[in-house]
Amino acid sequence: MRKLFLSVIGFAALTATTAFAQDGARVSGRVVGETGAPLVGASVFIPGMSLGSTTSDDGSYSFVVPASRANGQTATLTARILGYTPTSVQIALTSGANINQNFTLTANPLHLGEVVITGAGTSTTRERLTTTINSVDTAALQRASSPQNVVSALAGKAPNVEVRTQSGEPGASASIKIRGNASLTGTNQPLFVVDGQPIDNQTNSTDQGPNDFTGTGGTVSQNRAADINPNDIESIDILKGSAAAAIYGARAANGVVLITTKRGRQGPTRITYSSTETWDRVDPKDILQHQFGQGSSLATGTPVAAVCGGLDCALDRRSWGPAIAAGTPTYNHLTEIFDTGITADNNLSISGGNDRTTFYASGGLTAQNGYIVGPNNKYNRGSVRLKASHQVNSKFNIGGNFNFIDTRGNYVQKGSNVSGLFLGALRTPPNFNNKDYLTASGLQRPYRFPNPSSSDAFIGRAYYDNPFFVLNSPGNRSELGRSIANINLDYNPTDWLRVQYTLGGDYYNDWRLEALPITSAGDANGHVVRLDLNNLEIDHNLIATAKYDVNPNIQTTFTVGQNLNSRRFRDIYNAGEQLIAPTPLSLNNTVSVQGTEFRSLRHIESYFGQAETNLWDQLIVNVGLRNDGFSTFGESKRRNTFPKASAAWIFSKALGDKASGLLSFGKLRVAYGETGKEPPVYGAITALSSSAVFGSPGFGDVITSKFGNGGLVTGPVLGNNALRPERTRENEYGIDLGLFDQKADFSATWYNKRASDVILNTLPVNTSETGAFFTVANGASLTNKGYELALNARPVTLANFAWDLGVQFAHNKGDVTSLLGAQFITYNNEGFTGAIGSSTLGFAPGVIRGNDFARCGNGAIVDDVNGNSVDVDAYCNSVGAPKGALYLDTNGQPINDPTDRVIADPNPKYTMSYTSSVKLFNRITLSGLLDVRKGSQVWDGTRGILNYFGTSKESGEKRTTTDGQFGVNYLTDKYPVVTGPGKGTVAFTNYADWQAWYNGEGGGFGNTGALFVEDGSFAKLREISLAYTLNGNFLKALGGFTSADIRISGRNLHTWTKYKGLDPEANLGGAEYLTQGVDYFNHPQAKSFVLSFSLNR
Amino acid sequence: MKNIRRLAPVAALSLLGMAGCNFLTGGETQVDPNRPTVATSRQLLIGVQANLWGLWGSDPSRIAGIFAQHFTGNQSQYQSQIQNYSLNETVTNGLQTSLYGGGGLVDIKKVEAGAVAADDKFFQGVAQVLEGATMGTGADIFGDLVYSKALQNVSNGLQQASGDFPNPPLDGQLAVYDSVQTVLSAAIANISSTRTSDVGPTDADLVYGGLSRTAQRAAWIALAHTLKARYYMHTAEVRPAAYAAALAEAQQGIKSDAGNYVGAFQNASGLQNFWYQFEVTAGRTGYVVPNTGFEDFIAARNDPRRTQYFKTTAAGEEISDERLAPDFQQPYVTYDENTLIWAEAAYRTGDQATALTKLNEERANHNLAPEAVAGQALLREILSEKYIADFQLGQEGWNDYKRTCFPNLVPTGTGKIPGRLYYDTSERQTNPTNIPNPGTAPNGTRNANDPANATSDGDGSACLGQ
Repeated sequence: MRKLFLSVIGFAALTATTAFAQDGARVSGRVVGETGAPLVGASVFIPGMSLGSTTSDDGSYSFVVPASRANGQTATLTARILGYTPTSVQIALTSGANINQNFTLTANPLHLGEVVITGAGTSTTRERLTTTINSVDTAALQRASSPQNVVSALAGKAPNVEVRTQSGEPGASASIKIRGNASLTGTNQPLFVVDGQPIDNQTNSTDQGPNDFTGTGGTVSQNRAADINPNDIESIDILKGSAAAAIYGARAANGVVLITTKRGRQGPTRITYSSTETWDRVDPKDILQHQFGQGSSLATGTPVAAVCGGLDCALDRRSWGPAIAAGTPTYNHLTEIFDTGITADNNLSISGGNDRTTFYASGGLTAQNGYIVGPNNKYNRGSVRLKASHQVNSKFNIGGNFNFIDTRGNYVQKGSNVSGLFLGALRTPPNFNNKDYLTASGLQRPYRFPNPSSSDAFIGRAYYDNPFFVLNSPGNRSELGRSIANINLDYNPTDWLRVQYTLGGDYYNDWRLEALPITSAGDANGHVVRLDLNNLEIDHNLIATAKYDVNPNIQTTFTVGQNLNSRRFRDIYNAGEQLIAPTPLSLNNTVSVQGTEFRSLRHIESYFGQAETNLWDQLIVNVGLRNDGFSTFGESKRRNTFPKASAAWIFSKALGDKASGLLSFGKLRVAYGETGKEPPVYGAITALSSSAVFGSPGFGDVITSKFGNGGLVTGPVLGNNALRPERTRENEYGIDLGLFDQKADFSATWYNKRASDVILNTLPVNTSETGAFFTVANGASLTNKGYELALNARPVTLANFAWDLGVQFAHNKGDVTSLLGAQFITYNNEGFTGAIGSSTLGFAPGVIRGNDFARCGNGAIVDDVNGNSVDVDAYCNSVGAPKGALYLDTNGQPINDPTDRVIADPNPKYTMSYTSSVKLFNRITLSGLLDVRKGSQVWDGTRGILNYFGTSKESGEKRTTTDGQFGVNYLTDKYPVVTGPGKGTVAFTNYADWQAWYNGEGGGFGNTGALFVEDGSFAKLREISLAYTLNGNFLKALGGFTSADIRISGRNLHTWTKYKGLDPEANLGGAEYLTQGVDYFNHPQAKSFVLSFSLNR
Repeated sequence: MKNIRRLAPVAALSLLGMAGCNFLTGGETQVDPNRPTVATSRQLLIGVQANLWGLWGSDPSRIAGIFAQHFTGNQSQYQSQIQNYSLNETVTNGLQTSLYGGGGLVDIKKVEAGAVAADDKFFQGVAQVLEGATMGTGADIFGDLVYSKALQNVSNGLQQASGDFPNPPLDGQLAVYDSVQTVLSAAIANISSTRTSDVGPTDADLVYGGLSRTAQRAAWIALAHTLKARYYMHTAEVRPAAYAAALAEAQQGIKSDAGNYVGAFQNASGLQNFWYQFEVTAGRTGYVVPNTGFEDFIAARNDPRRTQYFKTTAAGEEISDERLAPDFQQPYVTYDENTLIWAEAAYRTGDQATALTKLNEERANHNLAPEAVAGQALLREILSEKYIADFQLGQEGWNDYKRTCFPNLVPTGTGKIPGRLYYDTSERQTNPTNIPNPGTAPNGTRNANDPANATSDGDGSACLGQ
């Protein structure tokens, strides 16, 4: 490796030398800021000649104008770098001359004049932007040595861009939600576009069987945007509103994330090597009890240890047994499955070029070993990229971008899954030693059979897997190869016309294995699932841009384009039942194999146009139209049009153009746009099916009609041949201000997003009328209203001391206004019994439904403990109990209200983030990011279930209390006011009472999901980092290096929350799920300590 | 300019070549390559049979088994919810719709229409038997149901999401049973037709398909009579005259174990016995365990079915290996049931001699010595044998308890033993006029005409209101 590294450097040095071996005009100099500090990486170039260079670590630059092109003419030389105002001077180009030109650039904190990518090949400058686009640059991404998943790295980076990393495991998916949910069924993830080419960001898990890969069990789900190496990214522009995103039409209702990768710049070849080591740890709250062992008190009234034999066997799996004798060792079943995870991330990039050709080449290797004990939680990603462009002649540029990614990982079973790691771990009685996880004959030894045990006799009766058996199982793997590549042509026939063409492909093959070994609780006979996913997206984009200046004060730009896109998805799912020999975990080694496949093809043919007018550099008006044809639109709705219009008035220009003073810059924005979302593939077709499910597939209630010669049944979903895209209309108003000599800037945006024609993939239809369960239909509607505020201040900008700070605040209120006649629709996969994800009229999308206890004002009529019917409201009225008071039965206990209702809203009331950074002597940077989420509720199913099992801390404390009285000392924070005939009655007086309660309505298997809803608000110290930049002669002596950066940082170091579970951010499902905030044995996010250094040459 | 001219044809070609007139409709963009869209009556019949086994063998049967105390909900959801009678729409969501959806009434009607089109009365009659069984089971579980006005938005086999018949009314539970009797009578008449076009389902009949056509016909006729007897019994609590009708049907019902209607499960994924799927495939061993009271009940009678049903392991009582086999041919309508209906109906209509004969015929079938009892003791013996024979027999244990309050079960949860399950959430949402909100419906787990609130007298008389 070292040898290769050195030879690469040698080769690069050689190229660098040849670049200067020419005659011509040599232009050189130095670029510094106002404080005199060198500006590294600034572009110094001659516009129109495609000549120039970038400054090195001491701020110096030099390049040569070839003799043939230096004929004494005067040319403009411009120096430009992000964050500073570009400056131009005139120089005379004479062959053989040595031109020395230094620049002192003034800071430009408002990024005025800087180019912002606005999508589909268009761009503008920051001040002319008429919509909200949040830009995140390399510096922000690297500041805290960001996580490997580029989506996770966006957490807290922009207002109303809500990022949730689903767990702390290697490879875990992250969801991103921009200004709430635009849609009710299907994905709410934005479109990802890398260098002008859309890429796939599906989240697939292997869990739920054929063709439904977004499960709540199985192994961790990955989102495919995580394949992009963050080290290759130069900037990310997030198109939030519909006006900004309308140029992407029917794929843009959830916003668009535009990623621009790094490119080479002409000048000396630059080499950057960086290495980052990350240590991940989990320091979980102690949510478990450590005093009581396996057993039950229900049969006898006093706790009895697990016993068995004869007819009245009570080999119990609960920890409601007697107190563990003093001196008996106990185990912390949570901390024992964790160790320190280590991630090594190494990247090498080489970039450079000459006056015609530039290139950027990189290679990155990430090897992540997760925080779970054992060798089977790791995630490796290797990626190489070559991005190059060549100026064929003064009018024609050809470029290419090739990226190959190899991602592979080993995972552990998780979530709602009897073979899941946490399920078994947290349900184990405290005195059982899980570490001794194999029997003498190499089979699993689960906790249900206490020490010592001849548990070979119990194959198939584990209930839950021993966590060490789970984490040592090598049966869950994925291997993915992906290439994303494009060629692009840029043709400038005249100075007013530009034609760009991009043809790109994104292809991956995802090979997955998921297996349960013999004696697994999930399948005692063992099984092997093999899944091959194939995705190919080809995108063709042709754009012509014309600039026409009516006069210097009236400038116009016209863009027209065509987009053709083809997406092909293929998967083959093979389930092998019953392992023959214990290993290998291969389909060949199973008794029977059943396979299914799924394939789909979708085509898009779209045309778009846009016109922008700039009047007196003060008023900018942008109008556009996109016409989309999608193969997924119904026959009669094949083409749809999405318009947009926006305007900005730079009113500070009208007040006199000045870059200083109280108000140095002021802009008002107004925008309107329409975007859409496409219907599901083959949604027009009513088809037959070959299986039926009764109850829950998790309980084995599946029957197929493949008996005999094979049968079929009517499918569950009615097709709809008139499907059209969902349509989101959004108004946006904003103001951007530069204040106090640009020492502060403020921006505010209000928006009102109205989605109509929203598609419900699973709109219930009356089965007794139609014979179908659901239909696919347009017609639901929802709104998202909100605002975003951002304030940045730079109170100190001295040469050796700079301090800046920023605060972002965002609020979004979602409201489902129509569900095509339904009161609510449920997402059965997105929750759990007692807490089911839904969209409900009058609430934000993704609220959790479930049951509560009977309370005053809900119109409940319930059966009491004697089987008599009670009208709760009539009782409440008769005693004058207030609305919401908990009704207590004669036994002092509440009664479940069988009407399900909304019990939790996981959508935050507001999100905030604070950033601050201090820079000393231009060398030391200390920065931090605090991420705040307020008012998002979480259903803590884990706590409910552990109460049932008697392993929770709560159940350990309660069982010895003799005075359990609602309204007095039990659940008073949740139900402060009580009423009913049982008011004043002590409901639970002894151990057996508490167990009966937690094993019934008071535990997680009961029907009262509302009992476990908690406030999931948190403040997370998301990032904190200390960076030091070294440069000097000793580095040069060391091997020609110009600078080195050393960074120590931490991620998620501390969380302030009232949430009782492990992590309010983790979620049971994957990133694709609309309903977030379901905690069911989720793996928490880790705290990370990061050490990184990079060497530049 | 020259360059533009050179580029123009390229651009034009790319536009025309890729955006040809069928770019949006070609290839597999408009045809679903994964799912078929047409099926024959034979294929649908297989789906219908599988669906019926699901109704009789999967979750509805486990829940009914816990209510009847053949089983105990010992863990997790089956303990906290079913065993404790903490029920609501979500607990049993998806069960009611399976009466009508794929494999249910919608496909039965297609099979019937297909048989009429093919002029095959035998085939039509078989579909009608399955219709009676499906809807009769629905009435057992849910009480009042949409039946006479069902599937109004399906015309010529085409389903419509929104048609002219919103909010279909429910038929009363007794009216559903009456319709079931009518369709089963029609079925018997049709199956009896022996014209050359009446070829029947042949081997698409998964249970009797291996028999000769004549034997297959006889098997279906006997099954239809036993089902008629079963559903007459279910109405007898409020219509005492139904005993005589049940007696007449039982006399023509299933004559031997060979005629039993079973779930013809196979050892392959998705074709396995539901108990195997529940315990082994899904790993839910121990969630639902044999009720020790029921085991003691069998053991006290020295009945060999104690070990045929159950096995004792070091981990506790479990279903026997035979009954847990993936390809166990799970009985759903049996000779035992028919014999005991015959016995009880004879007793209830005053013919104690026949009742005793039939009781002893049933006992002989299980190698038990004949009994010589009379009066209330005879009835108690018949009901005891029935309670044992009802084990894992769809919902019959629960149905018989609701009718007779025998044996004298102590409720395991809050309130009384539930008499019905809640309708599906989606059916209530899409039919709010006729299906009330469960939390505001008095006696949500009772049928209006199901007097299960009466107290048992221990031999199955008091509960019947006699």
